[in-house]
Parts: sequence; C-alpha cells; structure tokens
Amino acid sequence: MVDVSGIVSGIVEKIFAALTANMVNIPILEPLINKLLQIPLVNLVVAFILWKPAFVILFVPGLLAVTVVLLIMIWWERKLTARIQWRVGPKEVSRRTGGIIQTLADGMRYMFQEVIIHRDAHKLYFLQLPILSFIPVLLPILLIPAGTIYAIRSPYAIQIAVALTALLPIFILGIGWSANNRFAFIGTVREAFLYVAYEIPLMIAVLSMVLLYKSGDPFVIVEKQWIPGIFMNPIAFIAFLIGMVMAAGRLPFDISEADQEIAFGPFVEYSGIIFGLVMGIAYEKLYLLSLIAAILFFGGWSGPEIAFLGELSYAIWLFLKAFVLMGFIVMVRAIYGRYRLDQALKFGWSSLLTFSLIGFFISAGWVIWLG
Amino acid sequence: MVRIKVEKPKVHKSVALHIKAITTAFKEAISPGTITIHYPRERRKLPDNFRGLLQLDKEKCINCFRCAHICPANAIQMYQRENKYYPGIDYTKCILCHFCVDSCPTAALKPSKIHDVAFASLSTMVLPPEELAGEPEMWREDTVTVEYDFDGDLKMIKRKEVENLIVEVEKPKRPEFVAGAAFPENCIACRICVNSCPQNAITFKLQDLQTMVLEIDFEKCTGCMVCIRNCPTQTLLPFRREEVLKGGESDEQG
Repeated sequence: MVDVSGIVSGIVEKIFAALTANMVNIPILEPLINKLLQIPLVNLVVAFILWKPAFVILFVPGLLAVTVVLLIMIWWERKLTARIQWRVGPKEVSRRTGGIIQTLADGMRYMFQEVIIHRDAHKLYFLQLPILSFIPVLLPILLIPAGTIYAIRSPYAIQIAVALTALLPIFILGIGWSANNRFAFIGTVREAFLYVAYEIPLMIAVLSMVLLYKSGDPFVIVEKQWIPGIFMNPIAFIAFLIGMVMAAGRLPFDISEADQEIAFGPFVEYSGIIFGLVMGIAYEKLYLLSLIAAILFFGGWSGPEIAFLGELSYAIWLFLKAFVLMGFIVMVRAIYGRYRLDQALKFGWSSLLTFSLIGFFISAGWVIWLG
Repeated sequence: MVRIKVEKPKVHKSVALHIKAITTAFKEAISPGTITIHYPRERRKLPDNFRGLLQLDKEKCINCFRCAHICPANAIQMYQRENKYYPGIDYTKCILCHFCVDSCPTAALKPSKIHDVAFASLSTMVLPPEELAGEPEMWREDTVTVEYDFDGDLKMIKRKEVENLIVEVEKPKRPEFVAGAAFPENCIACRICVNSCPQNAITFKLQDLQTMVLEIDFEKCTGCMVCIRNCPTQTLLPFRREEVLKGGESDEQG
C-alpha cells in the first residue's frame, strides 16, 4: 500500500515552503497574516496571494492597481476637464465626494446591460479579443518591478515591457476587423496608420534612456538615477510623453476612436460590460506606459520609506508617481483639439521622430562624457 | 481643386502658443471661472417684474372681467362663486404675458417668480379661482441665491438666503370710477344692470305705474363697469368717484 495522503501532504508542504520563502513583507499586516498561516488550506491561499510573482499580478502594480486607476482616473479626467472648461463634471453620484464613485456606478450599469452581438460580427473574435487584450496588459507587469516586489528580473525588462505594450494595437485591429462595421473599419485603418508613427519615436525614446543607463534592468536604472532621468535627458522625456499620449489614444491623438466623427471607431458595436472592457484598454496602456515613464524618468520606486508598509512602500511610491503622471496627461484633453489623421501622421513621422533622435544623441553624449 | 496655402507659424511662436495654452489650462484648473448655477440647490435671483405663475387675491377682486377680456390667449375664464365672478386660469393656454396683471385695477391678480412648475395631468392645468388663491405647493431645496455681476468679467455673487418668490404688488394709481345714469331717458327698465351687478349696488324701486327709480349705492359700487357694458340702451356711464360724491347722490328715473 502506498501512503497517498502522506505523499499529498508532503507535496503540499513543499509547495507551502516554496511559497513562504518568497513572500511580501508587510509589517502592519503581519499579526493577521501569521494567524491566517496557522489555518490549514487557508494558509496555502494566503501564501499564494502573498507570493511575490502572484502579488505583482494581483495587487500592485497588477490587477488591483489597474482597477483603482480605471475607477479613479476616468473620474479625475472628467472632473479636471470639466473644471478647466467651466463645467461641473460628474457630481450627483455621491455628492459629498464630488461624484468620485461615478465610474463605479457606470461600471455597474454596464454589468446589467445586455451584451448585443450583431449579425455581421465574427462572433468568436468579437467576444474573445476584449478579454484577451488583458494578456499584453498583464504580461509587462511581470517585468516591471516595484522595489523588492518583482516577478521576473531581466537585463532586458524595459525593452520587453515596451514591446509587449506595443502588442495592444494588434488587439484593437482584431477588434475592428471582427466588428465588421464601416465605422470600425475606418477606425481600424486609422489605428493601423498611426501605430508605426508613434511606436517608433516612443521606442527610440525608451532606448535612448536605456542607452543612458547602459542597461534595461529596472533595478540598475533606478540605482543609476542620482538625479531623476527627466533632468538628464528632457528631450527624450518630451518625445516619450507625446508618444505616450498618442499610444494611449488620449485626446489630441484619439483619431482612431474619435467619438464625434466615427463613434468610437473599432469599439462602435460593443455594449454592456464588454464595452467597459474595451474602453479600459486605452487607460490600461496609459497606466503601463506611466509605470515605465516613472521608472525611466522619475526615479522609479525611490522615495522616503514608509516603515509600517515594509516592502509595500516601494510599490506605493512607484504607483503614486505613475498616478500623478497620468493625472497630468489626462489634462491634455482639455487643452488641445483633435488632430486630423494626416496632421498626426506628419507630426509623428517628422517632428516627433526628430525629437526622439535628438534625445538619442543627447544620451549618447552623456555616455561619451561620463565614460 | 484650389489649394489654399496657409503660412506656417514659426517654431518659437508655436512653442509660445503651446505654453500659453497649457498655462491657461493650469490657471483654470486651480481657480476656474465656473458660472454654473446648481439649480435645485441654488437659484438665480429673478427681477420683481418676472412673468411667472399668477396669484389671485379674492378679497380684492371686484369682478370686473377685465383680465378675461384682455387675455390674448383666451386663457382666463370667469367662474361664478355665490353671487360673484372670479377669474380662473387655463395654463394649457396661458402664455404668461401678464396683460391680466397690468389690466387689473385693484392688484387682485399678482405676479410671482415661480416658473418651475409641474402638473400631474392636463386637466389639473385648468385652475379655478380657489386654486389660484394662495401659494402653490412648493418643494424648495435651495439655500443659496445667485446673482450675476456683468461689470467687467462675468462673476457670480452668492448669498446664503432664500428668495421670496411671491411678489407684493401695490394697488395701481388709477382714477376710481362709479357707474351713474347719464341718459335716464334711455332706460327701458330691463333690470339687466341689477342682475349683473356683482356688489348688489343697484336697486330698482317701483314709484308708480309709469316710473321706476334706479338707485345706485356708491358706497357699494366698485367701478367694475359690468352694468355699463351690459346695458342695452347705453343709459349708464362711468363717472369719477370724487366728482360724483361732491355732487351728491343721483337718482334717475325711467
């Protein structure tokens, strides 16, 4: 007779030991976590949640942070834009807080709305792609470390993360194709046109910073920033910022969505919670690029340590920096009007490309000067 | 195709314009010049001559029918109550021109600043005089009164006070009239004036078989001129009250 229960408990113990060896240390929650780790089965779940690679995906800078960004950033964008334009913005849902749970209310409404799939749609891809688009959103998060909380450490982490975020437009193209609608086609073609125009300057700006730090490893990059990278290479920052605004489809360049012209372009046929998901794509991409910008230009997770949060304080600092940067970028919506497709293409291929190349040469100059 | 050539702005100029746009946005984000009135909680201060809903003071009403006659939309109908007639308004027709307010000699019809009204159904929009009298049922959430300051930049002045929407109107200064028999030889003793007088100021007395005496009590007469309008032979005419009172009572016969 083989002792099955003995083997199973042995495997469980080994898994538990492997998980607890690499756990996030949060001093303020320690008594609670220790108590939970005493309970059988629950301890496995708790250990898995606090296991660093899982923690990165589930909490900061992963799913929970993305949710917070979606809930608060959309409200903040509407409120700030309204303020600049002498309007009031969302107000009636939770009046005392200035309507801060408006996005939550909208999300609830989407939840209970029927998801309509029209007859012409390619049903499989039409429903799959919005959900699958979480792959290029969550994969880069594995490579973006927050202090000691990280999943994968690689000398090419930044490059891989940027390359993975560049996959998102492919999903948007797929969405537009599967919707099989004229507005969706127009939006898709616009997106395809713009894709290369912004992605190349964006990548050159990232690579110029990688050249400056001589590594794509975020740990090395944060260590090397004796002053924030924005002061070392402001031209690359401006190129990255504009490329980021274009990549995330914020207003002066939201040519592919353009709700006043082509009714949200590729997303025109969506309804219900799936519409909520596709509308989130732009904000998720903005969030990812803000995280990368925070690491490259604003010293990443470096900041005064908060003692009671332990390792979490690094993640909080990184998140806060990205959040403030996003809060600034959404303001652009109130300042500029939408460019035409040809104007944006011309801008991307001429001025922006030149800017990013100048940034690249500045980085090269730094490298030669510092040796 | 005609191609219009637009002169390209110079780089330093366009950079300056971008910076200006961004600084403006920041300035507005910090202290916006919002001029929105949060309506149910705030209310814009309205002028006293605002044309809102109408109110009726039944005590002052002298049943002169002038409001009903002048109404261009034919919205005012006179309702008989006991021996008198009072105006009632059909708000499906009313255009809120306030001609009736202007025509009212005793300020019995009063204007108000109430303009945000809801009726339960079309039939409830026809208001008899009882419902016109007194304040309508109101739910007021406002605690702040807002005024715009148009001098220079548009500004808002907010005051923590609740505006009274009922306007008090003084009785207009007009000469007072009383009815008197100007041409007694015309009278055919039809007694239409007696029956039409809302104040019961006119009485007929049979003196003998040939003569009837028409008596008008000037104390009671309000000068509404209903009798004058109704008289088929134009016996009666309006006279100024002070002149008539000087000359003493005039009894006429027919």
